[in-house]
Amino acid sequence: MTPSPEERPEETDMELINRWKAGDSRAATRLVGRHSQALARFAASAGEREGIEELVQDTFVRAFASLDSFRGESTMRTWLFTIERRLMLDRRRAERRSRETVPIEESDHVSEYGALDALIADEVQERVRRSLEALSPTQREVFTLRVQQGLSYKEIAEIVDSTEGAARVHYHNAIRTVKEFLSDE
Amino acid sequence: MNDCTDNDIREMLPDLLHGALGAGAVERAEAHLASCEECRAELEVLRMVKSAAVFAPTIDADQVVRRIPPYSKIVPAVEAPARSRLVSWLVAATVAITVVGVGSMLVTKQGATTAPTSVATSLPSATIPAQPTPVASKTPASGASSAVAVGTQPSHTHALAVAADVDGLTDGNLVQLMSDMNRFDALPATESDPVISVDSGY
Repeated sequence: MTPSPEERPEETDMELINRWKAGDSRAATRLVGRHSQALARFAASAGEREGIEELVQDTFVRAFASLDSFRGESTMRTWLFTIERRLMLDRRRAERRSRETVPIEESDHVSEYGALDALIADEVQERVRRSLEALSPTQREVFTLRVQQGLSYKEIAEIVDSTEGAARVHYHNAIRTVKEFLSDE
Repeated sequence: MNDCTDNDIREMLPDLLHGALGAGAVERAEAHLASCEECRAELEVLRMVKSAAVFAPTIDADQVVRRIPPYSKIVPAVEAPARSRLVSWLVAATVAITVVGVGSMLVTKQGATTAPTSVATSLPSATIPAQPTPVASKTPASGASSAVAVGTQPSHTHALAVAADVDGLTDGNLVQLMSDMNRFDALPATESDPVISVDSGY
């Protein structure tokens, strides 16, 4: 008897991709469910404040539209992080352009950080968030991918378009900064 | 600051946090942590950072999937440009071949009507082969006085031959020559026999 999709928990990403290509939409649901929260966490850690759901959706739409170019040389999650990071960079460039023409209202800051503050229930975690904000964008990406996602330097280098050695240096600089920040507070 | 110099262990700490180490590595890391306060403190910071990542919003997978078009609708959109590119290449290749072919025919025709610089008919100094084959040729360095038959055909009344000079032709010969040139085909009706060099001893 063929097991139902719910009874096949160990299907690899590649198997699910092939099932989706064969017309099984449930395979897409499982792939999205498997990776969506990691993408959302990465976006939040990288400093995205609003529209994380849309960002994750856009990442999957773009990924599924170009699945034929995914050859499984890296893990699907690494590939998804790479796509999401590019979308974040595009979004930041667009925001920078609009900021050059539209004056920033004080209420913008309030709404951005107010929404995040509502999510933070613990003072320690608030301190951690502020320590991450003290990092450079690349340090923050490398550090959160290593610590929060548990990726290897090789995978991180692929996502941030750098080398393993550079990723390692970014990580060590980041952990030093975070520890100093937390000990000063 | 972490003053611990065991970089291998420090590199392992994030993997230890994610349960990504083998049993041997875990044992080694835990033995080190038992005696290293700096690394214990660093692991605690990493644990705090990891747990701070729970503030991301929950993603509705079904909502995401609804935005993804079926694979069958994506594939033709990807392949369509490749097919039209092939057709474009075929059209370009056809045009190029046609242009080169027509051009070479025109050049050949023009060359056939202008190439012989001196042609004589019934000249006393011209040696006209009795048979159209074999055709004898001579290298230009051997002198223009030797006759070389060019593409003669049995149906022609007047054979054409390269002569030493057109100055020796009479008016009648020139008229005859012009008449012959008008009837001359750019390409021989039949393939000629192999050209045999006079200098080769034949």
